[in-house]
Amino acid sequence: MQKEIQNFYHQLQEKGIIFSFSGPISQSLLEGIGQTLKQKMSLEETSTNVVHKVFSIFVELMQNIINYSAQRITAQEADEELSYGVLIVGKENDHFYIISGNYIQENQKDPLQEKLAKIKSMDRDELKQFYKQQRRLQSDDASKGAGLGFIEMARKATYPIEYEIDSIENGYRFFVVKTII
Amino acid sequence: MDIFTREQTKSTPWIHFDPQNNYLQIKGESYPENSASFYAPMMEWLEEYLNNLSNSGIRVDVELVYFNSSSSKVFMNLFDRLEEAASNGIHIEINWMYHEDNDTALECGEEFQEDLEKVEFNLLPIQE
Repeated sequence: MQKEIQNFYHQLQEKGIIFSFSGPISQSLLEGIGQTLKQKMSLEETSTNVVHKVFSIFVELMQNIINYSAQRITAQEADEELSYGVLIVGKENDHFYIISGNYIQENQKDPLQEKLAKIKSMDRDELKQFYKQQRRLQSDDASKGAGLGFIEMARKATYPIEYEIDSIENGYRFFVVKTII
Repeated sequence: MDIFTREQTKSTPWIHFDPQNNYLQIKGESYPENSASFYAPMMEWLEEYLNNLSNSGIRVDVELVYFNSSSSKVFMNLFDRLEEAASNGIHIEINWMYHEDNDTALECGEEFQEDLEKVEFNLLPIQE
């Protein structure tokens, strides 16, 4: 067992993975890890602006899992809402990247795909206008977020957001997003 | 009317709205799990405050190191509500304070400034 875990640990390091988490995610976990992530980047003398961008995308992705993961334990059952997902922060070729994955309901697929495709087709100015326009829309009550998260990420990222939604499995689909800063 | 205040936490800012001095302050970071519900009491307080305001001016100081996208929406609502009061003849000064090396905070301030006309929206760098 020791060897297996050690190998796993080294594999993560070789891939430049700074941090990875899989399991139930909550707001308090986000706050704790977020703080550590900022400290770690600051120690490496990462520029303030890069630290802000990485932290910002980290928060949006973690809160996406918290708000939209289809696998969840509600606040009535636990002290705070827990949502399941996976999140990885790494560094590759001098760029930080963040990947998140979680199951979504079948009916979340089309709106999500539509939104991400729209964002991917936009240039910086269009993203800015889209962000401002969405920010002033009254949010629908079903959404805990503001519908701005992915636009925010696209604006902070250096490269276009990559995403995949796999084929249906017991009524759920696995959704993965990668952003490179 | 009583002062509206909230202590700072890791993910929510210090809030201090003083109706006697017409001085509203927000300072810290903002990324609560549910921004709309976290800020609902603040927005309710503001509504009552503006509805009972005599013709005095308001000073608003905002110093946010970081805020998430759902907080951004709440702050837009807050500024839009102040913009409405400014349209009714109340002088409103919003001071957006940012650390000099924090380009993100400056850009966020500029984007709010672009969307507001009636309030006096100042971008003020804080020297380290």
